[in-house]
Amino acid sequence: MKRTDAIHRISELLDSEDVTTTNTSMRIPKALQASASLAVRELGAATSTTALTASALRLRLEAIVVQAVLDDHYDQHPEARATLAELALAAAELDGHPLAGDPERLRRAAAEIIERHPDADADDVLLWAEAQAVRFSA
Amino acid sequence: MSHLVLLDNEAVQALGTPDHPKHRRVLSHLQVVAQRTRRGEAVRVEVPTTVRVEAGWDRSAPTWALANRLRIADAVLDGTHADVAAGIRDEVAVSVTDAHLGAAMRSTPRERVTVITSDPGDMRAVAGTKSVTVVTI
Repeated sequence: MKRTDAIHRISELLDSEDVTTTNTSMRIPKALQASASLAVRELGAATSTTALTASALRLRLEAIVVQAVLDDHYDQHPEARATLAELALAAAELDGHPLAGDPERLRRAAAEIIERHPDADADDVLLWAEAQAVRFSA
Repeated sequence: MSHLVLLDNEAVQALGTPDHPKHRRVLSHLQVVAQRTRRGEAVRVEVPTTVRVEAGWDRSAPTWALANRLRIADAVLDGTHADVAAGIRDEVAVSVTDAHLGAAMRSTPRERVTVITSDPGDMRAVAGTKSVTVVTI
């Protein structure tokens, strides 16, 4: 199966309204299963451990599919890939964060953070820029 | 905290056309949404169906392949939303698509709402008393 077909099929399956369930042979660590049971029973995290597992798996798969689509698009259109500073600005804008009005500070924060943490993402930059802003205003 | 991100007509146009001057900018917001989803945050991107009509986004058309694959859901104009949208048009003189955007903002159960738009004034008007973050592209 080609990668694009796989992405398309996963997306289709995620949208499926078929609620038929299946028993799986999936093996998960006992401690993880126990912690999920506790979260459901004591914290009301979901209606059941099955619901908790299914919803976490769905969220993860949706993220994987969207990132795969974006990565394919960036491969075809490298100019469409935003810089870390641009992503930090987008993160600030989505949140209505005051730093959305200070792209220069975000650019500096992105440049600083990427030196130590090459895998940093937009929210890491935003947090760092906010910490810097607080530090300098104190 | 659950978060709804809405796209207006120009955001959709920009998304659908790689050489659109705002393509990269709109994509940067969707990239952040993807990163946050990966972290387990409940973020959902929606486009009102009337916006899709205005923008010419036909989900069966291959030219919209990128937008189709980014898991952007339809905010459907059902009877309830049509009532809210009609009320908005009664309050402020806006287009049907803007009223539909307003209905989507006002009706969502999600705690946070952001709209990506080229028309911030109208978006603030249709939001009414609902707290909405407006991102101007």
